[in-house]
Amino acid sequence: MRQRIKSNFRGYRAFLVGLDDANAEHLAVILTRLGLLVEVADLKAPSAGSAKSSAVVFFDADEEPETPRIPENCGALASIAVIGNEAPSRLARVVSCGCDSHIVKPIRSAGVYTALVLAVNGRDRVSRAQAEAQLLQQRLAARRVVTKAVVALVQQMNLDDEQAYEYLRKEAMDRRISIEQMARDFLLASGAAPSSWASHEG
Amino acid sequence: MRNKTNIKLGMIFSETGSYAALGQSMRAGAMLAIDEINANDEARYTLEPIAIDPGGETAAYAEATRELISNYDITHVFGCYTSASRKEVLPVIEKYDALLWYPSHYEGFETSDNVVYTGASPNQHILPLARHLISNHGKRGWFVGSNYIWAWENNRILREALGSVEGEVVGERYFAIGDKDFGELPATIVADQPDFVFVTLIGDSCYRFIRELRRHAEAAGIDQSTMMPIASCSLSEAELPLLGADAAGHLSSSVYFSSVDTPENHWFTERWNAQFSHLGRASADAEASFVAIHLLANALERAADTSLEAVRDAVRGIELVAPQGPVAVNQENLHCAMRPRIGRSTHDYDFEIIHEARQLVQPDPYLVWVDPMPEPESDYLRVVK
Repeated sequence: MRQRIKSNFRGYRAFLVGLDDANAEHLAVILTRLGLLVEVADLKAPSAGSAKSSAVVFFDADEEPETPRIPENCGALASIAVIGNEAPSRLARVVSCGCDSHIVKPIRSAGVYTALVLAVNGRDRVSRAQAEAQLLQQRLAARRVVTKAVVALVQQMNLDDEQAYEYLRKEAMDRRISIEQMARDFLLASGAAPSSWASHEG
Repeated sequence: MRNKTNIKLGMIFSETGSYAALGQSMRAGAMLAIDEINANDEARYTLEPIAIDPGGETAAYAEATRELISNYDITHVFGCYTSASRKEVLPVIEKYDALLWYPSHYEGFETSDNVVYTGASPNQHILPLARHLISNHGKRGWFVGSNYIWAWENNRILREALGSVEGEVVGERYFAIGDKDFGELPATIVADQPDFVFVTLIGDSCYRFIRELRRHAEAAGIDQSTMMPIASCSLSEAELPLLGADAAGHLSSSVYFSSVDTPENHWFTERWNAQFSHLGRASADAEASFVAIHLLANALERAADTSLEAVRDAVRGIELVAPQGPVAVNQENLHCAMRPRIGRSTHDYDFEIIHEARQLVQPDPYLVWVDPMPEPESDYLRVVK
């Protein structure tokens, strides 16, 4: 089923980092209209730019490098770069921060909502893709367990490799577990695997 | 009589082209207000309209606006009807830092600091209509619209509202603005027997479609206006005469109908009928144009000077008693708090008001503060008839 896009940001927290007063003020007015709760970062405070999970972070891409960066993986819902200079050194920072969308200065009313929709939904999509990639990696890593179990079955039960695999697949289906888990269980039960495997997942 | 300062106003209403009836009606509404203000000895300003007719051509609006601003040194521009035309005009208005007074209902999702929006926002027209349809007619709708943002966005909102009550969009079709060839569609819709037909066609396309749908329903022995009524957020008094014998029985959601029973509206419709009865009765967009001019006049009287900043600051929060009743400009988004109503069209080209909101509804152009179906209609709109 098609994922419905997020288009209402009522109650979301917005965290403004490094913007000058005029742009911060203007952006705060627009975001408040859109239902967000706005906080402005105090750049002197040690926590600035970090620990703002569950917020959409707006950061000024034109600031000097020594101003706090948005740490990667800070847990923000999404990050949006506010860009004045379209110069490679500034844009490199935008790219390295993994920002989800951007707004061009001077800030005007049109464009902010679009940036929010793209950033929040884009970040959702990235999160889903990352979770899927992690799952696939785990399964890939577990393939050698399956191979090992097939080899053990061939040796112990006098099956050919096709039959051994089919046996694992059917047992896994009957028990409603993954074939990787089934292979691991078989190896543990037959004593062909170290008991430390028992704690592994996936 | 005191010395008055003359203020030139730009007007970009399409008085020719495929939605000319609406443009003429809007211009007429603005003119009634201008005449009223110019005749008022107490007013510090006189208003002088300078009009350019974009002829319903979207691309012509930007050029018309540029000409008004640069050739006539105009700050305040009134007009646009379709959102497509407003989107054309916006960059010009913002570039020259002028103010557009946009006197029409629209689909929302915009808040320019250079626009005062005097028509209804989506929470003031499409959501009340969604509640009304679901409460009174059913959850199966056919959607037919002109192929642009007004139709797309209203259809999205109604689709989500129907989805939230497990309703169904039986079908959805779009046609180019001005298109009048609907092929088999009216017959298909009649055969599908939806609970209502949500029409976001505008202008000539709309009138032709309504006629064809009714012909096919009649041929099938179906009373279209009760079994599958047309529901619209834009059908107005200005258009009913163009439907002739097929004018009655259509639902429209609007903050104004010419049948609103207020002293201000009696005054307004009396003037209207004396001067503009050839344009049909007064309509929501005509009233929104009338209100827009009055809001500007009010703001000018309050503002320290005639600069854009001073006038814009002055218009925030202004309240006035319009023909539709009290109207208040929202401080933050420059849209208006108004009172949603549902009307059913009659044979004499009028609307009978069948529901109206209990109180003023604040504008919510981004639909931030409302849920698609927050409460049943009975809690929100009161039955009038």
